[in-house]
Amino acid sequence: MTPILDMAGISVTFPGVKALDKAMLTVLPGEVHGLVGENGAGKSTLIKVLAGVYAPDEGVVSLGDEKHISTLTPNLVHTAGVRFIHQELHLVPHFTVAESVFMGQEISGRFGLDKSTMNARTEDFLRETLNADISPRTLIRDLGTAERKLVQISRALIDGRATLVVFDEPTAPLASDEVDRLFAAIGGLKSKGIAMIYVSHYLREITHISDRVTVLRNGKAVKVFNEVSDQITDPMISAMVGREIAEMFPKKENTSNKKLFEARELSGMGFSQVNFDVAAGEVLGIAGLVGSGREELIDTIYGLLPVTSGSMTLKAEAYNPKRPAKAVKAGVALVPRDRRHDGLVLDQPVIDNINLASLEEVSTVLMEKRGVAKNRAEAMANQLDLRPRNVTMIPRLLSGGNQQKVVLGRWLAKGGDLFILDEPTVGVDVGAKVEIYALIRELAAQGSAVIVSSGDPLELLGLSDRIMVLQRGFLAASHDAKDVNVDSLVALTTGGSSGAIE
Amino acid sequence: MKWLLRYSFLLVIAACIVFFSFWNPVFLSAGNQMNILEGSAILLIVALGMTLVVAMGGIDLSVGIALDFGAAFAVVALKEYDAAWYVAILAGIVGGCLIGLLNAVLIVWLNVSAFMATLGTFFIGSSVQRIFTNGGGPISHRRMPQEYRDLAVGDFGGVPTEVLIAGFVLILYFIFLERSILGKRIHAIGLQPTAALIAGVEVKKIIFASFIIAGATCAIGGLIASANIRMFTPLSGFSYLLDAIAAVFIGASMHPRGRPNVMGTLVGVLFLGILANGLNLMGLNFNTKDALSGVILVLALAFAIGQRRLTSLRKGQT
Repeated sequence: MTPILDMAGISVTFPGVKALDKAMLTVLPGEVHGLVGENGAGKSTLIKVLAGVYAPDEGVVSLGDEKHISTLTPNLVHTAGVRFIHQELHLVPHFTVAESVFMGQEISGRFGLDKSTMNARTEDFLRETLNADISPRTLIRDLGTAERKLVQISRALIDGRATLVVFDEPTAPLASDEVDRLFAAIGGLKSKGIAMIYVSHYLREITHISDRVTVLRNGKAVKVFNEVSDQITDPMISAMVGREIAEMFPKKENTSNKKLFEARELSGMGFSQVNFDVAAGEVLGIAGLVGSGREELIDTIYGLLPVTSGSMTLKAEAYNPKRPAKAVKAGVALVPRDRRHDGLVLDQPVIDNINLASLEEVSTVLMEKRGVAKNRAEAMANQLDLRPRNVTMIPRLLSGGNQQKVVLGRWLAKGGDLFILDEPTVGVDVGAKVEIYALIRELAAQGSAVIVSSGDPLELLGLSDRIMVLQRGFLAASHDAKDVNVDSLVALTTGGSSGAIE
Repeated sequence: MKWLLRYSFLLVIAACIVFFSFWNPVFLSAGNQMNILEGSAILLIVALGMTLVVAMGGIDLSVGIALDFGAAFAVVALKEYDAAWYVAILAGIVGGCLIGLLNAVLIVWLNVSAFMATLGTFFIGSSVQRIFTNGGGPISHRRMPQEYRDLAVGDFGGVPTEVLIAGFVLILYFIFLERSILGKRIHAIGLQPTAALIAGVEVKKIIFASFIIAGATCAIGGLIASANIRMFTPLSGFSYLLDAIAAVFIGASMHPRGRPNVMGTLVGVLFLGILANGLNLMGLNFNTKDALSGVILVLALAFAIGQRRLTSLRKGQT
């Protein structure tokens, strides 16, 4: 079978970085091709070469029968029937579904816009091809995220000339039950013989819908799986990170039994009657789907959301912070899930970000001692192996992993008894991931209690001593990490309900 | 080269100075230099209050009202209550604080945006002044104590008191905003409030206090203004609002990361002062003068910001 897309020997160099190093990707007609890799592995660069955005230094892109050597342009790619479904939706909230679908490609009749045809064609397309029942007259702002995604897809495909569709992290903003609707749409496209490239971090989605998978690492296509089943998850991860999974995680030390933090019948917005405790020296993992109350629980412990009933105890004293400043004073630290928005002041130098929580310690009578502040930040940068080791830089220019190190550095400088880390390694490359894991275990070894909330079962298993599972706001299970494995943890989180990927 | 680009705005000022002194040699005389400083003192004080609020991520449209209240409280204390000069000063500052307090309550407790809250305060404050003065007539007080009068007309060793006061406020603000840890926190709030909150910064308390401090600062400007003309003129503070905003943003344009900053504000105020004075000496008609200073201001900013964008492009950033 002639491939519909064949990218061979593609190299792209950015100043100082080889983003792609003779990468290849072959997509057969009518298949769903999964594309996976760590952040920075080159997935998006490869997609942008295909889109004609980046011209490769070397390599050949064959679309159908036509070979292109660095001559792809966005127009040419579009004419060849390649369509891109980007992560961002870019829809106008007060347009109707049909208006959004036909925006920029309106059909006009003798008397201006032909609304009835556009409405009918939108409705047909949604029903026939995407297996979705959405009225073309609904306003975008009244739609759920999954439905908006479907509108975005319709807009790209309504002209009926698509042969290859590229999905870039399509499920990232979706709740798990919404993922089903997207998968139904993908099924519909597949039955029409349209080939797809599916880029995702969610490996279970990849194994669920892909026919073949290509794994990228450091700009190379390191492995192609021609057979896809649940069994390939582990080999896929190993190929992505370039080492055995077990080597990524540090050894777990024994924990003490001294309870440091306790929650009793704790209820807040999005969760109720949760009981748990963390001991000094222990890492407690929290698992749960989006909407399980995981985020709300953490925000409540940190004083960002109010407690509605129940109680918390920190170091044997009643603890109920009204705002984060109180939590910090009590010895609690939060590494938030959205580090670019909530974790860092992106345009203030690294020095200030590291010292922000403990400015009193680098000052006399409220005056900042700049030398002391700088030394302290530099010491922290050395300890964390910050790259580049330049504390006057602004974090906006750092990579995800190094940004996260700056957030961690702030709390290491401040010190604390209870460290809460929410999705600590999202958007972090694998090297920095290993360093962050080591750091988290070290915090515990030094006698702090650590709570890690994560959507990555592998991370939770490798890092935690105990794992508790939240489901729809209730504590569903709590186990020693050694008593569960990836499969059972996933089963616990989805609760055997109609989760997306059962 | 880098230095040159960063301070390109200073070059524009230098060019203005050279131009004005060629046109009229009086411009460079010591007396005229002092005129410029004296004429800039009140604007500098108001612009510093504005710098604080803008650095914190807000805007204060009610600086003129705080200035008016400062003047009104002091003049009324002197005239109606026969207060001592220092009591009058205190009363004036309390007046400014009240305006800041109203802003703070609206913004922090009621979650109104700074723009809308201070606009509201502006309308309320204007109306209160008109009601209190039966439609906007000035309250004059001829027999002002000399100590109070000296706020505007006195001098120490030849340096006018108002210039000294403005210099003192400038130094306080520099230490507070650019050197103290509170300043660090204020800048952090201005850039990313949620990040500051999660780092344990008392965001609400700091915003609350900052608006009160800004009000008090503007009131100092009002004290000087009322001492100068021996009266309180309702709604006279409004003329400082736009100049203060301009000065703060000129200052921010000179900062490597575009942040409002105390020294930049000083440069902005002096630039506006030099421009007004120089155009005056050219004997220009009042009406054309405003248009011309607008044109020069926009050109100068376009030049400075364009230069900065060029440098950052060259470094591969946006």
